[in-house]
Amino acid sequence: MENNNLSSGERKLQCSDVSKCFQLLESILDGELGEEGKELLKQKLDKCQPCFEHFHLEQAIREVLKTKCTKQPLPEKLADSIRQMIHDVR
Amino acid sequence: MSEVQRRKYTQEEKTAIFDGEFMPHIDSMYNFAFRLTFDEDDAKDLVQDTYMKAFRFINSFEQGTNAKAWLFRILKNSFINEYRKKSKQPAKVDYQEVETFYNSDDVDYQSTTDLRAESVKDMLGDEISNALNALAVDFRTVIILADLEGFTYEEMAKILDIPIGTVRSRLHRARNLLKDKLRGYAQSMGYNTDEEEE
Repeated sequence: MENNNLSSGERKLQCSDVSKCFQLLESILDGELGEEGKELLKQKLDKCQPCFEHFHLEQAIREVLKTKCTKQPLPEKLADSIRQMIHDVR
Repeated sequence: MSEVQRRKYTQEEKTAIFDGEFMPHIDSMYNFAFRLTFDEDDAKDLVQDTYMKAFRFINSFEQGTNAKAWLFRILKNSFINEYRKKSKQPAKVDYQEVETFYNSDDVDYQSTTDLRAESVKDMLGDEISNALNALAVDFRTVIILADLEGFTYEEMAKILDIPIGTVRSRLHRARNLLKDKLRGYAQSMGYNTDEEEE
């Protein structure tokens, strides 16, 4: 990923309202704000280093969860046995 | 949900709904069941029971609505009513109690400068998975629903029978707990966690 130090020159290093900003960022990541969220997000990330870091951490966590915790292999015959059970009760 | 005139589906329609709208979610359902029970046989039984119930109550499913959320709700209720009771796990902290204690809507948002996106990305599947599994079931559940399965807050509220505000705060708290676990892994593996770059 980006080296945070390179780009932090133009961003403020203290976030004036961590609580509100982080809640907003998390809602955006969860897809709760739609298009309006994208614009807000750009503003935040361009201007505030803590928001920038928090966003990327939260995003990384969501990505690894999604890619690494969803692959529980389905037992081979489960789908067939369910179809059979349904067929039998019909 | 409005007072739609509920008609009964024909056998053909039932089969079409079951095969076309219910069965495609079986992988997600099994993954959810396994992460709730930690046991392959229990997960299999739970998924089977859920599909049997789904078929039995298929007339209360409104075609065109979210089948996946409907199924997840049945699975979660079956888990609570049947599996959780018989499981030998020691009683976990009751989340209601925890939430009341911390005042549910007033969540503390803090900077976590000691855990970096880079170290999280370098973690192996097992580490992530273990961290998730180590969370109490109610916290684990919201993370599974939101991050693994992509449900919206509104869908989660329906699946879990809790208000949206509680979904948001529980999810936030669950992620904080998860970050604590990940931070532990990051430190034990010697990832760069808190020192400043030169």
